[in-house]
Amino acid sequence: MAFYIFKRLLAIIPTLLGVAVLIFLLLRVVPGDVVEARYMSQGSQFQSQDLMDIERKKLGLDQPMWKQFTTWMAGLARLDFGLSMWTGSPITEEIKLRFALSLQLAIMASSTAVLLAIPLGILAAIKQDTWIDYAVRVFSIAGLAMPSFWLGILMILGMLIFFKWLPPMVFTPLWVNPWENLAQLIWPALAVGYRYSAVGTRMMRSTMLEVLREDYIRTARAKGLWLKLILSRHALKNAILPVLTVMSLEFAFLIGGLVVTEQVFNLNGLGMLFVEGISRRDYTLVQALVMLVATVFLFVNFLVDIAYAWLDPRIRYR
Amino acid sequence: MAVTPQTVEQLVNAGEPRAGWIAAVAKFVRQRPLGAIGAAIIVVMAVMAVGANVIAPQDPLATDYGAMLSAPGPGHWLGTDAFGRDVLSRMIYGSRTALMVGLGASLIGATFGSLIGVASAYFGGRVDLIVQRVMDVFFAFPVIILALAVVAILGTGVGNVILAIAAPMVPRCARVVRSSALSVREMPYVDAARASGFGHPRIILRHMLPNVMAPILIMATAFLGEAILLEASLSFLGLGVTEPTAAWGLMLRGAAVEFAETAPWMAFFPGLAISLAVFGFNLFGDSLRDALDPRLRTQ
Repeated sequence: MAFYIFKRLLAIIPTLLGVAVLIFLLLRVVPGDVVEARYMSQGSQFQSQDLMDIERKKLGLDQPMWKQFTTWMAGLARLDFGLSMWTGSPITEEIKLRFALSLQLAIMASSTAVLLAIPLGILAAIKQDTWIDYAVRVFSIAGLAMPSFWLGILMILGMLIFFKWLPPMVFTPLWVNPWENLAQLIWPALAVGYRYSAVGTRMMRSTMLEVLREDYIRTARAKGLWLKLILSRHALKNAILPVLTVMSLEFAFLIGGLVVTEQVFNLNGLGMLFVEGISRRDYTLVQALVMLVATVFLFVNFLVDIAYAWLDPRIRYR
Repeated sequence: MAVTPQTVEQLVNAGEPRAGWIAAVAKFVRQRPLGAIGAAIIVVMAVMAVGANVIAPQDPLATDYGAMLSAPGPGHWLGTDAFGRDVLSRMIYGSRTALMVGLGASLIGATFGSLIGVASAYFGGRVDLIVQRVMDVFFAFPVIILALAVVAILGTGVGNVILAIAAPMVPRCARVVRSSALSVREMPYVDAARASGFGHPRIILRHMLPNVMAPILIMATAFLGEAILLEASLSFLGLGVTEPTAAWGLMLRGAAVEFAETAPWMAFFPGLAISLAVFGFNLFGDSLRDALDPRLRTQ
């Protein structure tokens, strides 16, 4: 088992390296750089070439590409993300509070999704081809269809009309005022969670249907076991694994991929930071963000694999 | 009697007389009511997209500063936006944009994805390994972030948005198609084709690709809905289709949020259109998968 864990952990490194190369190159293909972007934002696009070159030199942008890449890699190896090209402050500082927000939102949204998906999926599977099944399926497909930013707009509109509430301009961290913080994040969490529950509900329904046709379920039934017991002890344990896998992989993307929802609810999360970073051509910041999200994704992937290997010894020896 | 595919078909169909297409549609509606609803939504959307210039009551770009933000009424059935443009007409023209981006992106994504997937499975060994590792790298990016990066490189506009949405779909399609193609590769007819001395492209395109069409079709339909949603998201951020083109995501941007309290129709109807369109494609795609994948058929 220890060897398997080591092997899987080692396999993350080449993928991360690939991600690093890809985002590094993608950013350099984007026309313009941070120096031009800054002058543009100040409304003076025609700066003397010399002045811009001095600025570029300060940021290390005059170096050849391979040198820029190796400098960045050397920093990453020491877990040093470097300085933001736009603000000049350490990227770790820039990301810290936003990461806390994005992580909390991702956790709340995933919890909502799991709490909706598992009971609904089981219900639909037990009542297959009845109106209950149809209703659950329509509910979940509707969740997939509604853009979460539109759902967000409708929620805000509803709150505005009924409670005269508007999303606050400033984010309150959990440790400052838990109540205010939860009141702020519950709506985006619901909007996103509903959408992500749809994937889980459909998965839960289909794996449950598969498991319910297994021989050991028939045996349990033939013994005269109580249906509730069959479902909770025999069926659920076997059906729930793929659902949790799908949902945990989605979780990783919730951290960096909620660009639009953050925009609607006025939240300064990682997604907004990413959009800002791209429009400012802040290479170091965008690179750090992408590496962060990719690392979380690969790590969650790794944990899922380990959990599988732990639960099913056949996988370890393959 | 020589057994040709035609005679087999005749034998199979001998039991029931060949029904007309009306009967076929009726059968589909009876057996898969949800799929039929989805198909109906798609047909309505396609008709709106194709006949937008006939159906739309007004010019979607015509501004009427005398009737800015006016509520739904006889003149403007779904009201007007902050420029006095007719919301209904913009929604009808928006279906054209959505369908164009959806079809374009899923066509490009599915084509490249399935070619890569089939080739990866066919060649196997080192090629397969390298392709899979490269796909792993793409998988570690959230879809919207990859799309945003492509938009940053290419710029905004309908054509670029299609490419930006197709890009993240390629690896997803490649992975699914590869797993189906792996089993096809072991089929005797592929060996036979190889023994006959056919070249790799011919075997991949003529012998393997047609036999993984079912998963490709399922993927492409699922992509369509996702692509429409992604286009709406990009346009909503101002990084997709650009003004004054009529696009649903764009209609939800800016003024729609600003005036949401006084003019809720601006935020409500375009979102409803997005939801309905994606809903239709998902329902239809689901039924298609049930119909094409025998393992999922209800017993």
